[in-house]
Amino acid sequence: MNQEPNSFMDRRHLLGNAAMGIGGIALGSLLQQESLAASATKWSPPSGTPGHQPKVKSVIWLFMNGGVSHMESFDPKPMLSKYAGREIKDTPFADALDPDKLAIERLVVPDANGQMRNTLYPLQVGFKKHGKSGIEVSDWFPNIARNVDKLAIVRSMWTTDSNHGAQAQFHSGRHRNDGDFPTLGAWVDYGLGSLNENLPQYISIGTRPYWNNRDGIYLGPKHNAVPLRIDPNNPLDFAKPQAGFSSDAKRVGFDLVHRLNTLRGSEYPHDPALEARIASYELAYRMQTAVPDVVDFSKESEATKKLYGLDRKETKSFGEQLLAARRFVERGVRFIQIQHGGGGAGAWDAHSKLKPNHEKNARAVDQPIAGLLEDLERTGLLDETLVVFATEFGRTPGTQGADGRDHHIFGFSVWMAGGGLKRGVVHGATDEIGFHAVKNRHYVTDIHATILHQLGLDSYQLEVPGRKRLEIDHGKAIREIIA
Amino acid sequence: MKVLPYIVLIALLASTQRGDAAPDYLVDVKPLFASRCFTCHGALKQKAKLRVDTAAGMIAAEVVVAGKPEESRLLELVSSSDVEERMPPEHEGSPFTEAEVTVIRQWIAAGAKAPTDEKAEDDPAEHWSFQKLVRPKIPPVKNANWARNPIDTFVAARHESHDIEPQSDATRLTLIRRLYIDLIGLPPDPEELAALAKDESKNWYNKVVDRLLDDPRHGERWGRHWMDIWRYSDWWGLGAQMRNSQKHIWHWRDWIVESLNADLPYDEMIRLMLAADELHPTDLEKLRASGYLARNFVLFNRNTWMDDTVEHVGKGLLGLTMNCAKCHDHKFDPISHHDYYAMRAFFEPYQVRTDMVPGETDFTKNGIPRAFDALLDAPTYRYIRGNEATPDKSKVIAPGVPEALTEQPLAILPISLPAESWQPERRPDVLEAHISQAREKVAAAEKRDKTKDGALAKKHLALAQQELESVQLRVAAIRAAWEDNKAAATASRLAAIRAERKTALKQAELALEENRNELAEAGEDKKAAIQLKVKKAQQAVAKAKKILTAEISGKETFTPLIGAKWSPTRFLESRTDDPSQKFHPTSTGRRTALAKWITDPANPLTARVAANHIWTRHFGEGLVASNFDFGRHGAKPTHPKLLDWLAIELIENDWSMKHLHRLIVTSSTYRMSSSLAGAEEQLARDPDNQRLWHRTSLRLESQVVRDSILALTGELDQTMGGPPIGKGEQEKSRRRSLYFFHSHNERNLFLTMFDEALVKECYKREQSIIPQQALAMANSKLVLEAAPKIAKRLEATHENMSDAEFIEKAFANIAGIEPSEEEILASLDAMKQWRTLPGGNSDSARAHFVWALLNHNDFITLR
Repeated sequence: MNQEPNSFMDRRHLLGNAAMGIGGIALGSLLQQESLAASATKWSPPSGTPGHQPKVKSVIWLFMNGGVSHMESFDPKPMLSKYAGREIKDTPFADALDPDKLAIERLVVPDANGQMRNTLYPLQVGFKKHGKSGIEVSDWFPNIARNVDKLAIVRSMWTTDSNHGAQAQFHSGRHRNDGDFPTLGAWVDYGLGSLNENLPQYISIGTRPYWNNRDGIYLGPKHNAVPLRIDPNNPLDFAKPQAGFSSDAKRVGFDLVHRLNTLRGSEYPHDPALEARIASYELAYRMQTAVPDVVDFSKESEATKKLYGLDRKETKSFGEQLLAARRFVERGVRFIQIQHGGGGAGAWDAHSKLKPNHEKNARAVDQPIAGLLEDLERTGLLDETLVVFATEFGRTPGTQGADGRDHHIFGFSVWMAGGGLKRGVVHGATDEIGFHAVKNRHYVTDIHATILHQLGLDSYQLEVPGRKRLEIDHGKAIREIIA
Repeated sequence: MKVLPYIVLIALLASTQRGDAAPDYLVDVKPLFASRCFTCHGALKQKAKLRVDTAAGMIAAEVVVAGKPEESRLLELVSSSDVEERMPPEHEGSPFTEAEVTVIRQWIAAGAKAPTDEKAEDDPAEHWSFQKLVRPKIPPVKNANWARNPIDTFVAARHESHDIEPQSDATRLTLIRRLYIDLIGLPPDPEELAALAKDESKNWYNKVVDRLLDDPRHGERWGRHWMDIWRYSDWWGLGAQMRNSQKHIWHWRDWIVESLNADLPYDEMIRLMLAADELHPTDLEKLRASGYLARNFVLFNRNTWMDDTVEHVGKGLLGLTMNCAKCHDHKFDPISHHDYYAMRAFFEPYQVRTDMVPGETDFTKNGIPRAFDALLDAPTYRYIRGNEATPDKSKVIAPGVPEALTEQPLAILPISLPAESWQPERRPDVLEAHISQAREKVAAAEKRDKTKDGALAKKHLALAQQELESVQLRVAAIRAAWEDNKAAATASRLAAIRAERKTALKQAELALEENRNELAEAGEDKKAAIQLKVKKAQQAVAKAKKILTAEISGKETFTPLIGAKWSPTRFLESRTDDPSQKFHPTSTGRRTALAKWITDPANPLTARVAANHIWTRHFGEGLVASNFDFGRHGAKPTHPKLLDWLAIELIENDWSMKHLHRLIVTSSTYRMSSSLAGAEEQLARDPDNQRLWHRTSLRLESQVVRDSILALTGELDQTMGGPPIGKGEQEKSRRRSLYFFHSHNERNLFLTMFDEALVKECYKREQSIIPQQALAMANSKLVLEAAPKIAKRLEATHENMSDAEFIEKAFANIAGIEPSEEEILASLDAMKQWRTLPGGNSDSARAHFVWALLNHNDFITLR
């Protein structure tokens, strides 16, 4: 964007700010003051500075829509194959059906899905040990497996919502029936200042079939993720003129808008909304070029493109999203949320034909994710970036129909990598059939707390008056995996 | 909202002041008790007959022994590790931390000192919003000249007691734009603006006010405000499955707009929204109001449905956060856990049905969704800790309102409904509609092209005719059943059943004919498969013939012709509808009783809340900032007497909202400038405008942004009402934005950039300022296509307009600005640049300039 003969950016230092009486305030804090004009309360939002020393700057949040089978990805359970075809009650693991243990499930409307599947279904894929850590990973993820020594795998997740409302729950900590609550990315956006004035700080890529397209909720719409498409032709809503408007004419226009708004400050001094609007036009103007620049991969080497799988049809789409994520991270974007597998309840939702379903989905994400990890390592970004691999719940140890697995909330896996976490470790465990998380159990918000901790934030300090959150909404950082 | 920051502030002060000295009671100790203990041991409740809201009280109750922590029972309780003994009890608050216990111990050890004039918490019954409304006296003021009506007198009194001067009136141009946007949601036409600028009559302002309040577009503008508060939403679900709200809910939207235009009294609107089905059970126009309740429909979950209803009747109509009492007694207000469910009990019986609009028998095409009492005996239970899995079945909870808010229990009388209401087929138009719909089908069949396939056309006609006969005979049978002649009724019933059997045969014959035609035209490879279909169709015909001649059993009935359809729920199983609900000849009368209580002029909350809602939308900020919470945790009114006066004015003028609008917009308070130039000293003393000494600039709501752009082009389509405009048609549509399909899942992209109302809760619109808004204004087709049209329209106001004239005109019409010389020069300079760009000319320069003004802060801002 430096090539643009854009004069107003320089001019803003000369014009009007003194008249408005707030010259010198950084853009980040101006944006924080957005609704100050309309607000009558004394309470003020976070300053944008981390509360404690941060370990990471950015988060890449990979979310597999639909529910990945933990037993066929990162938590091998050979007992499933040994007792395949047997009802759980007739195996040594019958106590998995203890009603007390099952009681964490929220009352849900009885459904074709979300019901107990009691006949054990054998593992559909093999496992091998990988890396120095010797952690077992399923053969559907050979490339991630190659990077297993970078991962901190948590095998003891649980949640409470056995329908896909759990997608919202994984992001906000709250069941869909409780209403709408800010998602993790919104909290991060709310809590931290900007590292790059040319880009939004919270970006969402991919479709979100089962939770609404807003994140800020009571934190306000300014903390909604900015949805982007990794489509060089249209990456951002209204990024390009939708009708004839040359870039030269537009530059003159933006300059004039800036000039006129600034002049207005003499009649309307002490108007934070006017200041914020001037700043927002500046960011918008820069975003118009900065965002398309991020998704322009022409300067990436062929080797890098290959690393992300851009050379193959099945990995291209997700690979482009992850490559864009790295480029956003390089430019200081705080939170990049990428959903894999839109449509229906999510591509991973293998109620039937689990094997071909997971094989296909794994093939789409495995190479790009491995590429991302290796690329971040190579560029030295992995230390200050947290990569999260998550999904709303696991799948049942028992079979559904002939060849599927149902939703399973009692135990499942996620992993994180980089960002001041231990590498090549497994934390927590499910029982021998992958039914219940039994060791170091973690509710979904513990992941949130861990990430916020690494970013230097404390969710308790971010609380908004009148919106008291429960302890479980805050979660607890998983200290055992923090390096 | 304001209590908490106060505590935080105190805590901050404490942390800076605390040294080795003993803790300061007010700063260090009392806030600890306030946040954890006052709910049960304060003014609201006195569990164990103990209050801990004053030091003296604690000492008198002997739970604190000054100077002797070891003998102080209170310290023992707050530091106990025994969950059974510990205070606060489990689920009632987080335990005290060690550091906090230490502070309390030090305070007791140092003598448990507190100010001697320490006051106990106010009695909740004394809380301002629960007090009877009494018309306040208009205070004497010095600045009487400033006051145009009593609103200003109340406001001036506050100015004077705080030694603050009001800002002067805004300019005429600003006022005109303010009135137009505020009252009708659109800017004035260039001609109107020019005429008003020149109007020298003394009462020009009041004339504009009167005209705009009478303008039908006023109902659209304020309708959208009330749609925010009352949670208007078109239906949403997954794919084609309706899971929330209702199809055709737009009838309720039209009712809101029409009612506002007719100045239907606010209390009547509330009564109709809550209980039109009981109060006017056969009046379709009024039944539209009950969309307020139909909107809360939730396909899968009755508890969510009921919770939403209780929460928003509480917040929207009463300013009470009843929802806080879902799991436990309210922490601040005198609303018990039981009260929450007693409020729910008013709604427990209701479900939703759709009534036929005259002439349309197809409920997928049209109909009026509305409430009716379906579950006359459904019990309401208190859910222990709010968990629906643990209802307390030992006691059925009767409908009722919080004791603290009423003098006597509500009288609830069941209402018997006219037959036309619970047997809607008795409506004279319903059966006629079925007949004429059948006639139309015959007419359509007659028009079929007979030249191509005469046999098939004949079969279609035969079917349509037979269907008509079937409808006619069923109508006769339905009517016969209403009479007392059993034999005649039986004969009609048999005839109707036989006619339906004949219809079935004609249908089978038509299908056979179609299959035969298909066979004739099919290629060899497909013949075998179609042959099979033909065979099956033949069998179906044979079967229908057999049924035709079979005897009719005593139990057999015909398919009824209905005038209303229950909206099926799926509470029991997600794949199938629950057993269908009948329409009953009686309704419980519960909602009528509630509606009467809410709209009783003696209810201290309703009119205050309504007046505050109205004020909030005129000024951007309410007299009570938390406009959904008038409880003890909510904001205090900045001008309590003014609010009471407005509430009384509302009630005593037959709840006329236009009366209130007129009072407000003609006040000097409303007419002040929002500029703070030269007011630095006052700004420092009252930065939040608590004394209402200036107006505050507002960002236009999403709908107003789009509507204003279209209005400026002169192309705004002012058609009112009707079904919502779907996503596919929105880009081309020139209708006002409130007619766009608007649901939880589906809202217009452009509008969502500007803090579009959330359908789940929107007591106040956000006024965010984000870069995406700049992009939408800069790059959207809407703006880019509007700019040249607006330029042409402004140019057309008179001939040979110079650039400077054009600039002034555009500033005035688009941004409400009389431009300064500098602004004109900057604009001329830009126009020169545009003109000299490749392909540039005067037209493009002016269009670009209009674009710039649409992107100007003062276009999207109401000054």
